[in-house]
Amino acid sequence: MAKLRHIAIAAKDPDAMAKFYKKAFDFTEVRKTDGPLAYGYHLSDGTIDLAILRFKTDQLGKGLDYTGLHHFGILVEDVGEAAKKLEGLGGRHYMDQGADRIGGFEVKFYGPEGVLFDVAEHPWTGTEPLPVEKAEAAE
Amino acid sequence: MPKLRHIAIAAEDPDAMAEFYKKAFDFVEVGRPNGVLADGVFLSDGTLNMAILKFKSDQLGKGMDFRGIHHFGVLVEDVGEFSKKLESLGAEHYIDQGHGGQQAGYFEKKFYGPEHVLFDIAEHGWAGAEPLPAPVKQAAE
Repeated sequence: MAKLRHIAIAAKDPDAMAKFYKKAFDFTEVRKTDGPLAYGYHLSDGTIDLAILRFKTDQLGKGLDYTGLHHFGILVEDVGEAAKKLEGLGGRHYMDQGADRIGGFEVKFYGPEGVLFDVAEHPWTGTEPLPVEKAEAAE
Repeated sequence: MPKLRHIAIAAEDPDAMAEFYKKAFDFVEVGRPNGVLADGVFLSDGTLNMAILKFKSDQLGKGMDFRGIHHFGVLVEDVGEFSKKLESLGAEHYIDQGHGGQQAGYFEKKFYGPEHVLFDIAEHGWAGAEPLPAPVKQAAE
């Protein structure tokens, strides 16, 4: 089964917000980022990546001053297959993020009601990989 | 360490949105909350609870027509202890959710963190969410 492995928050001050969640819940800082899409931090609880980001473009259509929960990410076995399925269900492809993404390629989609999410087959930094399938694990 | 175990999406049509995520990612429906705060559908990927909800009040101050990811939830060992810690770090307590009624087990306390980002903390896991890992000492026994 695909797994939710990434939650991104849009922040005006990612430095202060990341410090808060590190102190509050002992989340670990796994990397700092400053790419074409956003500046900020990736924290981890050992399973999920919590990205606290100041976005550089208005991906949600809510304006660049929007702060709050922004998007989530789902780890899948095969991005190409997942993308076809999503389009078949009415998901709208937004963009691909390729070489500049640490960990590898991911695809961004808008689901129902314009909710933005990523699908990736390479885990976000500091997150758990997909569980080994039972049949494979039994070998 | 506390664990992220809940993500809530504000939807106009939770049924349709839940169908999408069930079909797209094989997420499993684990509940149909119908409470004071929201109605909707609970899905699970086996680790997190994904709540797709039509909210009945404007908890974010972004208006009742806000659509998108609404809040997240963190599973902790002791809600009382974490509440004190969060308040000392400047978080603003919003509401408590009691142990009784249909909402039992969904969340315990809601806080606003920096920049008014809303999150829950709970020590009883959300429907379909994985519990906290056993401490190393206990797991070794």
